[in-house]
Amino acid sequence: MIMKRRIVITGMGSVTPLGLSVEETWRNLLAGKSGIRPIFIFDAETFPTTFAAQVADFDVAPYVRDPEAFGKAGRNVRFSMAAGRMAMEDAGLLGAKFDPVRFGIYLGSGEGALDFFTLAEGIAHGAGPDGKVGAAGFAEIGFKRYDALRELEQEPNMPANHLACEYGLRGPAFSCLTACAASTQAIGEATDLLRTGRADLMLAGGTHSMIHPLGVTGFNLLTAISTQHKDEPWRASRPFDRDRAGFVLGEGATLMILEELEHARSRGAKIWAEVTGFGTSADAYRMTDIHPEGRGPAAAMRMALADAGCRPDQIDYISAHGTGTQENDKVETLAVKLVFGQYAPKVPMSSVKSTLGHLIAAAGATELMTCVLAIRDQALPPTMNLENPDPECDLDYVPNAARRAKVEVCLSNSFGFGGQNDSLVVRRFVP
Amino acid sequence: MGRRIAITGLGVVSPAGIGAAALAEAVRAGRSAITRITRFDASAYPSRVAGEIRDLDPTVGTRKDQARYIKKMAKVMAVDIQLAVAAANLAIVDSGLPAGDPRANEPVLPTIDHTRFGMVFGTSFIPTELDEMAVAVQAARAGGEFTLKGWGLRGIPQVFPLWLLKYLPNMHACHVGILWDGQGPSNSLTCSDAGGLLSLDEASRLIRRGAADWMLAGGAESRVNPTLVMRYCLLKRLTETLGDPATACRPFDAGRTGQASSEGAALVMLEALDVAEKRGARIYGEVLGSGCGATTAGVNACDPDGSGVAAAVCAAMATAGVDPEQLGAIVAHGTALPMQDASEAAGLAAALGPAARTVPVTAVKGVTGNMGASSGVAELAAALLLMKDGQVPPILNCDRPDPEVKLNLVTGSPQPLASDLLLLTTNAIGGQTAAAVVRVKR
Repeated sequence: MIMKRRIVITGMGSVTPLGLSVEETWRNLLAGKSGIRPIFIFDAETFPTTFAAQVADFDVAPYVRDPEAFGKAGRNVRFSMAAGRMAMEDAGLLGAKFDPVRFGIYLGSGEGALDFFTLAEGIAHGAGPDGKVGAAGFAEIGFKRYDALRELEQEPNMPANHLACEYGLRGPAFSCLTACAASTQAIGEATDLLRTGRADLMLAGGTHSMIHPLGVTGFNLLTAISTQHKDEPWRASRPFDRDRAGFVLGEGATLMILEELEHARSRGAKIWAEVTGFGTSADAYRMTDIHPEGRGPAAAMRMALADAGCRPDQIDYISAHGTGTQENDKVETLAVKLVFGQYAPKVPMSSVKSTLGHLIAAAGATELMTCVLAIRDQALPPTMNLENPDPECDLDYVPNAARRAKVEVCLSNSFGFGGQNDSLVVRRFVP
Repeated sequence: MGRRIAITGLGVVSPAGIGAAALAEAVRAGRSAITRITRFDASAYPSRVAGEIRDLDPTVGTRKDQARYIKKMAKVMAVDIQLAVAAANLAIVDSGLPAGDPRANEPVLPTIDHTRFGMVFGTSFIPTELDEMAVAVQAARAGGEFTLKGWGLRGIPQVFPLWLLKYLPNMHACHVGILWDGQGPSNSLTCSDAGGLLSLDEASRLIRRGAADWMLAGGAESRVNPTLVMRYCLLKRLTETLGDPATACRPFDAGRTGQASSEGAALVMLEALDVAEKRGARIYGEVLGSGCGATTAGVNACDPDGSGVAAAVCAAMATAGVDPEQLGAIVAHGTALPMQDASEAAGLAAALGPAARTVPVTAVKGVTGNMGASSGVAELAAALLLMKDGQVPPILNCDRPDPEVKLNLVTGSPQPLASDLLLLTTNAIGGQTAAAVVRVKR
């Protein structure tokens, strides 16, 4: 039996609606401050949903060598460059020597925003009386107006590509897009690449912005995002509350430096925490619904706990997926009860999506970051807007105020639309 | 070392036809599947050739209840997803696992533990079909300029409610998981051309670490639509030749002019070798090792020295414990884009040293064009069938091998397979690289 290589977090960087750094986001999360306000990225006045949690006052320039190279990049790429730079700096790797072939990237990342106006004009130009769009008419507009690089920037592996180029990283490079579970999965699989000796360092996490016209359109059509509390949008994200009515879109990026322990020690790196367990599963149930008994989420949590060699009663805090949709919160509660049994009511579980919104592919990494900080500060971020208890959601969701607590080991959950489920276990580093 | 990984099922849909054998046969015969674009009116596009799959029936090989599901859901499955579903069905049926009898109320795949059956797919962000947006766009404009205010008021209500789900890059795995009750690990890698072999890498590691016993690995993508052909025309990646489509895509040829857009899906069933042997499964080959890396020369460029490809090849050889001299053949990505082929050739030469001059190198994109995320695994499936009889097929349309390419390119006629060890490589321009070493069962 070969001992598993131990994997630690040695750097973190983050850009969220609640702050342009790890610490600012954390401070605001603990204070229960909301990042949700009217959409200013584009004109959403007549959309069913008019609010989101957006990153404000952000400029990529301080975080990259050549800001001009990012003129056509999407918000996903820009956020990832900032989070990546902060993570590299935090880990003491900026300007440091490393073997580029042993330094990889694994991101859960979404698309860049498409040029919706050109698409619409092209469709209108190509549309015939039969309602079909002729490609020749579409092309007439498209070849004139589409910009080649802007088109390229839509592809979801562009954040990983830019980061590899910026830092010269030639190790294992992956980009996944399993919807809301993507960056939890990215960190889990990056951990496996480190454990199996395929790399010594991984830049891992997520980046995404679906706050663009077609993103909001798509989620509105699915009635997945809340349209309520238009005038007080900070009340719209209500995980585990009886009156929850869908999630609120967020955006941002969180990247971490994951490192094999001996490698981290040999360069005297600061160690934030240790990633000890990862579990992944699929619902295989229905396209639009979660398995009603929480089969998939429970399997992911169990696998993560087993991988970490950890009993349920050793978990001090669960960072919930907690989207604020009727179905998710009910089923997640059920799944936690399945896995934790009689201990379920005793383990605090909160959803930072109540103030941060849902960062989709970037959600999992951001939530894992809050677990790491909870361990550092012995404090739990609250679930805000939990005003009316739901009889089917009867666990300890850390309602409405941050709490001091003993926190050594955390579980972070992410469940993707389409049925991919991922859970991570992170713990205080004990040598 | 851990568990060994067998390949026990092949599922391919490609412009050469339905099934891995159809692709293998086209490659053996040197028959190009590239034609003028018929899917849409490409007269205004500088690139007008592609590999198209016609008359796809994604229900082939399925049980009646599954066929019903597929027919019902087809309207929420973009072409890419339908291709993936079809290839997955073929791979699973080919693996010989009993599908289960619906008339006897048997569940699908009744002999396996469904929590230990998973999948990793290479996919891409799928552009919306233009027709689907036409009514909404017209409504939004209502005779005037297109504005977001008009879209919000009049456009959104005209889009069909499940629109988003038709295009999400993880829906391939979602539907295949539902159809075949795959409750194990499931991932969707959006790494362009490299996604297929990266899936093979990750799926192999999932089995090795004991998280699964059966994994579908591969990818699916269609690049034959007005939006993506436009994108890759704008990026100058596609051949603009107006001559015979069958000679348009010319991997490693001195006169190569670019990629031919194409589409396809390719999945292999990976199975823990001990599990496969226990059930007496037919074994096509064994995944000995895989590796990956990244290009660092720019997001729209290939490393001139091929260092990204070399990183993946070296890692694959190291995990497989194979020396370059032991390789029997190499199946290269070979897209026929001048800079991409040059970079790949340089990377192979750097990683393999003197052996690069002797190991036969072939490529199949002269036949298929660039099938995007299904690249690599489509080649793997075809190669496992083709090389059983010890022959490495030539590269179609590589009539005048590029003298800058310092490899033993197989041109004109087949070369003998030097050993049963195959190296496969893929790379995404500006992005990820991947390689795998596989032993062909002969």
